Amino acid sequence: MTADNPQFPFAYRSVQQPAPLPAPDPWADFRQVAVIDLAFTQHYQHSLGKLSRFFLELGHGRFMVTSCPECGQVFAPPRSLCPQCHQITVWQALAGTGTLKTYTLMHFSNGANADVQALALPIILAYVLMDGASTLFPHILKADAASVHAGMRVQVAYSQDATAHPIHQMYFIPLEDV
Amino acid sequence: MTSRIPVVVGAGMTPFSANRDDCTVRELATEAVLACLADAQLEDISAIEQSVISYESDHFNRQMTLGAILQDHAGLNPAPTVRVEGGGATGALALRTAWTYIQSGVCDSVLVLGCEMNGRSVSSQTANQLFALSADIDWEMMIGGTYTAFYAAMMNAHMQRYGTQEEHFAHVAVRNRHNAQHNPCAQKPMSLTIADVMASRPIAAPYKLLDCSLLSDGAAAMLLATDAWARQHSPAFAQRPRVRYTATGCATDTMRLGDRYPHITNFRAKQLAAQRAYRMAGIQQPLQQIDIAEVYDSYSGAEIQAVEDLGFVAQGQGGFATLEGMFDPDGALPVNTSGGLLGRGAPVGATGIAQAIEIAEQLWQRAGLRQVKDARRGLTDTHAGIGTICVVNIFERVDE
Repeated sequence: MTADNPQFPFAYRSVQQPAPLPAPDPWADFRQVAVIDLAFTQHYQHSLGKLSRFFLELGHGRFMVTSCPECGQVFAPPRSLCPQCHQITVWQALAGTGTLKTYTLMHFSNGANADVQALALPIILAYVLMDGASTLFPHILKADAASVHAGMRVQVAYSQDATAHPIHQMYFIPLEDV
Repeated sequence: MTSRIPVVVGAGMTPFSANRDDCTVRELATEAVLACLADAQLEDISAIEQSVISYESDHFNRQMTLGAILQDHAGLNPAPTVRVEGGGATGALALRTAWTYIQSGVCDSVLVLGCEMNGRSVSSQTANQLFALSADIDWEMMIGGTYTAFYAAMMNAHMQRYGTQEEHFAHVAVRNRHNAQHNPCAQKPMSLTIADVMASRPIAAPYKLLDCSLLSDGAAAMLLATDAWARQHSPAFAQRPRVRYTATGCATDTMRLGDRYPHITNFRAKQLAAQRAYRMAGIQQPLQQIDIAEVYDSYSGAEIQAVEDLGFVAQGQGGFATLEGMFDPDGALPVNTSGGLLGRGAPVGATGIAQAIEIAEQLWQRAGLRQVKDARRGLTDTHAGIGTICVVNIFERVDE
């Protein structure tokens, strides 16, 4: 239904009380509804904070993680504080190779940025135990979906392309035999 | 000394729906409040001493400080209020907060009010982005991750380790939507077969469309009080079985799944939350001592992981027990008689409260065709993220 009042240039309609509420409708006088389009756009100056070094080093082809000086746990992705020991961690480089532990084939992504929107579907979201790490690192694995399996060996590939977010200056690929 | 264990005085909810664009979120919440007060036969809303407001997202609701606005529009001013947020666990945390208010003696009555507009006011693409904001932005969201994908990777690990099959969790998708057929407030009652679920389109392997829960608009309210307050203010209270909110347990885990390695098949914090609730309720054998449960089936497989973590079956046995019908309406422990998140729906801030309402309806013996015979003790299980904040609440019918 369109508005019969030309001064109100929005569509409105009459609605009924949703089931299963009983008659008579207590809100009978409130059943004319207009729904309008509303848009918000936000831009942020988004700090990568104490973990910025991880992203900066990707540009140099280095895969940086942190470790706890007390318990020796190696955090990949890095953490600046060991949650068990409450010790401030230290940076170290890993080789960038690892083992796929679990994964999923995503038939759609969240479309968060242009980097993600450019990926062909389905996208392989991989959880990788990096060699030398204690935790699983989540990222996109670019591989033939039919060949992907838990336990397969993968490695980090680095990209120098301009990306919307620096996390896309890396991704995983199957480990190349040397 | 008289008991301060909270009792359920009344409950009310809106039907859960894919789209309630006939009203705003504040109007939706008001509908639940009116239904709850009518259920309690409370004559004077000013007798309510405190409210706890439950909603997750400023983005979905297009409103900050919504708690104060709901308080105002529902006619609860000038009572004190607090807004509680804990992702998917928000509603259950709000109940837990009300529990502590009453047990501590701060007040004798609390209205717990939850709502969310997660339905069609935004596109599914926008909804995915907004939900993805509750993942770790730099490490999970910006690589395109969705919650469906995180749950799927977790379920994949469960399948690898325990041999759980897609048919096992397809049974959950079928059963919960079937249960929803008897719930007049359910959003998506459906009569399905396992083959229908298996043939639905893939979303994030192993999850397919019918393995995924719903985006919903809805509101739910529950009035909790001391026994003495309920007797004084609610004529309805004396007319039905007394339902106590006897125990509550909560525990937390890392927000990123990978940081839990090697514990990636199950909800570790859910195990701890359940243990804490069971200790408080004096439960040693949950399968024998709990009659009904509303379990957090955000994805069909999550229910299988949860029945293990809640101690109903051993780790790895959830899928097999599910397929055998252990959690069906006529099984040893009926689960999600309401339809769950898969069939009833999941407006986040209202979800945990709607779970508690289903348990109360069952314990009041007024669940209609869903009624589980002589249900006396019920559990709700709710979590945020992929088990990041877990809350287990226990309700019991107490006969004089």
